[in-house]
Amino acid sequence: MEIVVCVKRVPDTSEADVVITGKDIKKDDLAFEINEWDNYAVEEAVQIKEKLGGNITVISVGDEEAKEVIRRGLAMGGDTGIRIDHPALAGSDSMAIAKTLAAAIKDIDYDLVLTGAQAGDLGAGIVPVALAEMLGVPHATLAVGLDIEDGKAKVKRELEGGLMEVLEMDLPAVVGVQTGINEPRYVSIMGIRKASKKEIKLLDISDLGLLPKDVGEEGSLTVIEELSVPPVTKVAEILEGDPAEAASKLAEIMKEKGVL
Amino acid sequence: MMEIAGEPFAQKFDLYTCMQCGKCTGGCTVSLKSPLNVRRMMRTALVSESSDAVLGLKELWDCTSCGTCTSRCPRSLDPAEVIFGMRSLLIEEGRGVPKTIMEALESTVKNGNPWGRSKMKRTEWLQDFEGEVKDLTGGATAELLAFIGCTPSYDPRVQDVARAFATVFNAAGVDYGILGNEESCCGSEMHAMGEEGLFEMLVEENIELFGGFEVKDMVTISPHCYNAFSNKYSEYADVNFGVKHYTQFLAELIDKDGLELSKELGKVVTYHDPCYLGKHNSIYDEPRKVIEAIPGVTFVEMERSRERSLCCEGGGGMMWNEGAEGERTAVVRVRDAAEQGAEIIAVACPFCMLTLEDAVKTAGYDDQIIVKDILELLAESL
Amino acid sequence: MAEIFVLAEHREGELREITFEMLGAAKYLGKDMGATVTAVLLGHDVDTYAEKLGSYADTVLVVDDPKLDYFNAEIYQKVLSKLISDKNPVVTLIGHTAFGMDLAPALAVELGLPLATDCIGLEVDGGKLFVTRQIYSGKVNAKVSLKGDQYMVTIRSAAFPVEEGTLSGEIVKEAVAIEDVPYRKFIGYEEAPAGEVDITQADYIIGIGRAIGDPENIPMVEELAEALGGVLACSRPVVDKNWLPKDRQVGSSGKIVKPKLYLALGISGAFQHVAGMKDSGLIVAINKDPKAPIFNVADYGIVNDLFKIVPVLKEKITELKG
Ligand SMILES: Cc1cc2nc3c(=O)[nH]c(=O)nc-3n(C[C@H](O)[C@H](O)[C@H](O)COP(=O)(O)OP(=O)(O)OC[C@H]3O[C@@H](n4cnc5c(N)ncnc54)[C@H](O)[C@@H]3O)c2cc1C
Ligand SMILES: Cc1cc2nc3c(=O)[nH]c(=O)nc-3n(C[C@H](O)[C@H](O)[C@H](O)COP(=O)(O)OP(=O)(O)OC[C@H]3O[C@@H](n4cnc5c(N)ncnc54)[C@H](O)[C@@H]3O)c2cc1C
Repeated sequence: MEIVVCVKRVPDTSEADVVITGKDIKKDDLAFEINEWDNYAVEEAVQIKEKLGGNITVISVGDEEAKEVIRRGLAMGGDTGIRIDHPALAGSDSMAIAKTLAAAIKDIDYDLVLTGAQAGDLGAGIVPVALAEMLGVPHATLAVGLDIEDGKAKVKRELEGGLMEVLEMDLPAVVGVQTGINEPRYVSIMGIRKASKKEIKLLDISDLGLLPKDVGEEGSLTVIEELSVPPVTKVAEILEGDPAEAASKLAEIMKEKGVL
Repeated sequence: MMEIAGEPFAQKFDLYTCMQCGKCTGGCTVSLKSPLNVRRMMRTALVSESSDAVLGLKELWDCTSCGTCTSRCPRSLDPAEVIFGMRSLLIEEGRGVPKTIMEALESTVKNGNPWGRSKMKRTEWLQDFEGEVKDLTGGATAELLAFIGCTPSYDPRVQDVARAFATVFNAAGVDYGILGNEESCCGSEMHAMGEEGLFEMLVEENIELFGGFEVKDMVTISPHCYNAFSNKYSEYADVNFGVKHYTQFLAELIDKDGLELSKELGKVVTYHDPCYLGKHNSIYDEPRKVIEAIPGVTFVEMERSRERSLCCEGGGGMMWNEGAEGERTAVVRVRDAAEQGAEIIAVACPFCMLTLEDAVKTAGYDDQIIVKDILELLAESL
Repeated sequence: MAEIFVLAEHREGELREITFEMLGAAKYLGKDMGATVTAVLLGHDVDTYAEKLGSYADTVLVVDDPKLDYFNAEIYQKVLSKLISDKNPVVTLIGHTAFGMDLAPALAVELGLPLATDCIGLEVDGGKLFVTRQIYSGKVNAKVSLKGDQYMVTIRSAAFPVEEGTLSGEIVKEAVAIEDVPYRKFIGYEEAPAGEVDITQADYIIGIGRAIGDPENIPMVEELAEALGGVLACSRPVVDKNWLPKDRQVGSSGKIVKPKLYLALGISGAFQHVAGMKDSGLIVAINKDPKAPIFNVADYGIVNDLFKIVPVLKEKITELKG
């Protein structure tokens, strides 16, 4: 099995007081990590390799720092790393990133491409399905179960409300992985240090046969115009009234928020 | 042969010297409810070919690192370190690591604390504090570095202890400062959980950080930080700063009449020895001295105290791992305190604070006993 | 006249709520763009759906084929790309659901359309479409423009209200030849494995704390959980006392959960507990103590005795769920 896994390095904003600067947020103070979904994707790749043998390429589009998440993937069990970087990539939307990834992956004789179902920062959930279309292979995203057998992938997709869609497709294919599909192993600092010996190839977009105008804002069909902070309400809003009043206010809110 | 960083266990931990006398196991409180058998672990470490032998030993994660085994070994071996070493094999391979431990470790890699909280919120405890605390990262200088530690920085209950620390040290006129949001985990628990690479990394980073601020003397709130800095760091790097636990620092201050305590507490107080002051460092007298300096304290000892003290089960990574099932020793400890008629259990460790406070409720002594850090008692009697 | 396409989503004999939410959004968008609204319905034997959709759309475009009985991203893509190429709708709205996420990006690539996903706001300015989507886990709203004059957008569930259906749209049947699809085969639906409850997978969690006081009080909260379609979880003291099994414990030494709703009953909000549930979607706390730290992580709170709130809350919820 020749497996490619796409990984993205994302900032953890869970506790951050987000500061908007122009079309992005200030990131100097933030801790970065591998996109949570991608961590599951790498684990899935490693488990498949452990079962069927093969080779795993860990690939990321991003700057020098992206090496960190590639190396982590290599420490988990990946074999080769690829990092794609070019100044023209700035302002790329998900489609442009998918285009870039597709250009790199098409030259690999892959059986399976794994990505996260979405990235925790921008959360478009576009790359896996777009990538498959660009590569001309079948896809399934939100996979919570994956079995590879006889050149086919049997996938369980998570639907809303605890239901799963079971499907089968021919390989090669792209699968977008949902969290919970497996239990990602711990990646030790020692393991990462050892993995630094594995090669991480650096590719430029010209190596992929792309022009600067194919990516970045010019090569994207969507553009971020403006960011704003949605009105925040922390410290719980207290629902006043006697038990019946308070309870009915609460029930209304639950309905309004779509949790009923 | 099972190896750690290229060195066989047998050699690194001098395992051939072990005569399998079982004194370690005999003193192990965890073994009362867990299959953990330290003597057998020593043997496993000696004879096993690979980490496979360790993988199935779930009880490996039950050790609370109280250090009793080490302190009882007639051959001066360090069984606790052997256990950490065995954990490190699994950690390095990423196999069989309890999920909650993984998360604590991942958080420490990412945020510099095991509590899953942002590095930028480390000084959150200062938000409601009225007094002045110098932040060395803001350009201030001070004679003494106060190392606050992860749990006092982030746990809402223990944040009270951090504030009490500042109150007391301010009142005594000590010239101290903190490292603000640049402070990072000391690594004590990372080492105990077996994340050796991470511990080494934290040692390197902290040594560099302290060097950058020309730290010469340090005081810690947690005995775990104290133990790491004073005993463990030197195994990995050149340490050129002195470190004291706050009870040591304050005991000296009290000797020099440097702390004025005036308000009567009027309570029966007992003291629970934290393993990382007591068993690991033989610091028994200083905390008692500080407590007894508080006016209106009737000090009582629990039946098991000092060297014989019972572990609260908060160390060894157990803050992030459930450990063996069965009655918590912290609950036993609360009963011990009640037996002596104590109204306050004084502690000197953030982990003891959390485990004992929880146990007071579990044991149903909420309206009878409260748990306070010595710093809080001091702050009240200023 | 320009057209807005809304892809109707249905599963196991039911039109899904998102369909009507999108039709509501499309109505306003249509006004701003001078466009009519067309509900696009792919399925087999779906006349009743078509009729229902007629009240919400100017036109209902139906493709009825046995191959469309179940959602299959590939077949849907084939049919939709044909329809969109033929009719050139100015906007196509698709749900940002498990179906939509599996479909829209490939369709957009095939047709060369700009795609914005998971949108919570739609705006027309100078004839151009702008969408609002949330990034950085909801901490930032991004206003995004789409290039060109034909767009595809996926819509977040519950972001738009359902409008009353007052139209009587025309139902148009369209035949689209579906060749055999070589790649992907639908096998079936499967319920998530039953048996031991996995609270990490639950969408609705009721967390009970020490204040529950007695195992005899648990059936009462269990009824509330049932009314919500959720599961019971707890703080550690509840496990310590063996009132609930260990696998229900939320927190630093228990499970980390991220449900859509976390309802904390008589939980103080200890750090170790909060670590396990702070990333939940909507957090509601019921606690007697107005100063309980749980209110610092909760979105909504009721300061009262949980035993007084739970029974009435259950009634209200049952009422509202109909
Ligand atoms: C304003 C703006 C500026 C940007 N500037 C840059 C820039 O300077 N440099 C740059 O490289 N990108 C840049 N990007 C691209 C951006 O960081 C994302 O990679 C891209 O938009 C993908 O969208 P997403 O994260 O929502 O992907 P989703 O579709 O949600 O991601 C799903 C999966 O796709 C894969 N994936 C996503 N992104 C990558 C990636 N980068 N590498 C490998 N796999 C990936 C992962 O497996 C992920 O789990 C910019 C985007 C915007 C909107
Ligand atoms: C090492 C360690 C690990 C731990 N791990 C976890 C963990 O994983 N998960 C966990 O939950 N805890 C954990 N704890 C315990 C944690 O510190 C707290 O003790 C625990 O979460 C408290 O549980 P509680 O909120 O249910 O109880 P309490 O703190 O006792 O709170 C009860 C609350 O109920 C309210 N109340 C009382 N009566 C009523 C009523 N009738 N109606 C409404 N409200 C009422 C009170 O005002 C109070 O706020 C851990 C502790 C330690 C030491």
